[in-house]
Amino acid sequence: MVKQWKQFGTLALVVLASALSFAADKEHATVLREATLQVAPGPVSEKLAEVERGSDLVVLEQSNADAQPWIKALVTLVQGDKVQGEKTQGDNARQVTGWLPARSVVTASTPNGDLIIFGQAADSEQRAEERGGRKGAAQDAMRLYARVTELFPGSPLAAEAMWRSADIRWQLEKNDSAHIATQDLGPGERKMIDEKSMQEIIKKFPNSKWADLAAYDLIDNKICGSWRALAECPLKESAAYEQYAHEHPQSPKAAEALFNAAWRQAALVDIYRIDGDKNKSETARKKGLALGQELVNQNPPGDWKPRAADLVYKLEKKIPVYGAAE
Amino acid sequence: MLKFWKQFGLTIVLSATACFAADKEHGTVIGPVTLYVAPDATAQQLGRLTRGRDIYLMDHTMVDGKPWSHLLAVVEVDAERGTSREISGWVNANVVITISTPNGDQIIYGEAVDSESQAEMRGGRKHAAEDAMRLYYRLYEYFPTSPLAGEALWRAADIRWQMEKSDVMTRPSSREMDPDLRNAMDDQTIKLVIKKFPHTKWADLASYDLIDNKLCGAWKGEAHCPEKESDLYEKYVREHPTSPKAAEALYNALFREAALVEIYKTTHEQDKSEHARKKAIDLAQELAAKYPEGDWKPRAMELTFALQQNIPIYGQGGASSTK
Repeated sequence: MVKQWKQFGTLALVVLASALSFAADKEHATVLREATLQVAPGPVSEKLAEVERGSDLVVLEQSNADAQPWIKALVTLVQGDKVQGEKTQGDNARQVTGWLPARSVVTASTPNGDLIIFGQAADSEQRAEERGGRKGAAQDAMRLYARVTELFPGSPLAAEAMWRSADIRWQLEKNDSAHIATQDLGPGERKMIDEKSMQEIIKKFPNSKWADLAAYDLIDNKICGSWRALAECPLKESAAYEQYAHEHPQSPKAAEALFNAAWRQAALVDIYRIDGDKNKSETARKKGLALGQELVNQNPPGDWKPRAADLVYKLEKKIPVYGAAE
Repeated sequence: MLKFWKQFGLTIVLSATACFAADKEHGTVIGPVTLYVAPDATAQQLGRLTRGRDIYLMDHTMVDGKPWSHLLAVVEVDAERGTSREISGWVNANVVITISTPNGDQIIYGEAVDSESQAEMRGGRKHAAEDAMRLYYRLYEYFPTSPLAGEALWRAADIRWQMEKSDVMTRPSSREMDPDLRNAMDDQTIKLVIKKFPHTKWADLASYDLIDNKLCGAWKGEAHCPEKESDLYEKYVREHPTSPKAAEALYNALFREAALVEIYKTTHEQDKSEHARKKAIDLAQELAAKYPEGDWKPRAMELTFALQQNIPIYGQGGASSTK
């Protein structure tokens, strides 16, 4: 009996190992252009689903039909993808197996595959920014960048691609009507932007430019929707930006963060002045001047030094920067 | 004798005028400000100055511990018609920046950047782009030796160009193939950049903008436009190899060659199609070798892959736009 159980255990292990081996053998891939998933290879077969740019594929088999290469793939369709004319519903992704033309498929073994996918992602990102650009281009870019990191984890583009994908997701969620509608509510009631992708970058590429950029995006979740001329929000925000600038001095966003901190202090000068709190107004003016001068002295490249010089001048001359212009 | 006194009087008047003009300081305002008849916030209001307006500082004084400037300012009478007139009056001196203000160039530039940023923001300040354009121009005009002067003139010219382009491109004539059938953007300020700052990054960028006036509004599936545009972009790269726009121009040239591959196929000109394919691949390789930084190399590689795999990039299944 014991022997029988031992034999069964061995058999189960063999089955499990072969299943794992099968999964490991399968090559992951993606598509650079929209493609139609079909029941069989060839132009006349029944259509199963539309596969979006950057979708995750698992290559199962390859074949030729009509003198063209075809790939049988397991495709993960997410919300919004069309399956037999209807859109998938809910957050759950579903998997469909079918055939699609191999010409626009890029796998981990495609030479320069990382550059090619990154190039299509950058192209899609530009389309998304154009007036009248392709619908869904931002989501295409987000998926394509994510595939660069997944398929080519050793690529020199992997970290930047992961950051860009996470940032597109972040910006889409930030500009989503559901987020905007709750922006004026208190921190506990607001719809926060999901931080998971940003935290992953910080964890996976610590002390890198991409981790610095991810940390900067995270400040968005601490920003008030509206100040309502009260000191609480700009005070808190100024502290958040100053902390960032001092914790990430090498970040491409360090100068912007310091300017944002200084600008909020300049706004506090006016807010406290309107409230009749001259002491706090003067403290904010001194703090704003110190932060602005710190930025000028750092002599950062780009526009931040002149912007800081302009702000310092306004603080020195007591020109209001918040509320009434004159 | 009478003649002598007349001549003497005229000389005195002319000398006084010249002296007065020399004393006046040119400058601008970095915030919106009200012009008053007298240095007093309760005095009659004459008008309102917006950021970047051209001013001549004639006098200044202190009233109740507050500084006031007496200005001669150019104000818009009719924004639509672009008419303006000069008026003089008193303003709060704090927003006045003249050629003698320490770091005046930095302050004007900073305010211009701030206005430009406002113009790009959703719900940003109205007319912020025009403010930025005027401020940048004032910097170039009154601080011509500033290290920021070249960039400021380029930015002023580019804002004007982009605003005009946006206007031109909303008209039905913008969809005509022939660029001569639509209003061209006024290239006066752009050409001033090239003239005043030759062989600089700013002149290179100005030259790139000028290509816009030569681009077709639509290709309509014909080869003529992408052929001409590819030549324009390639010529730009050859003439401005160190321009920040060189890689983009090379990509635009190769994209047009890649589009021609499909266009020639539809007219059954296989030889020309194959020639365009080879040309596109050559340009892509040149781009990858010469401009490896930024997004243009991966984009060129992706286009090469599409050409190798016979994926159409123009027309059915490809991009439909001309860019």
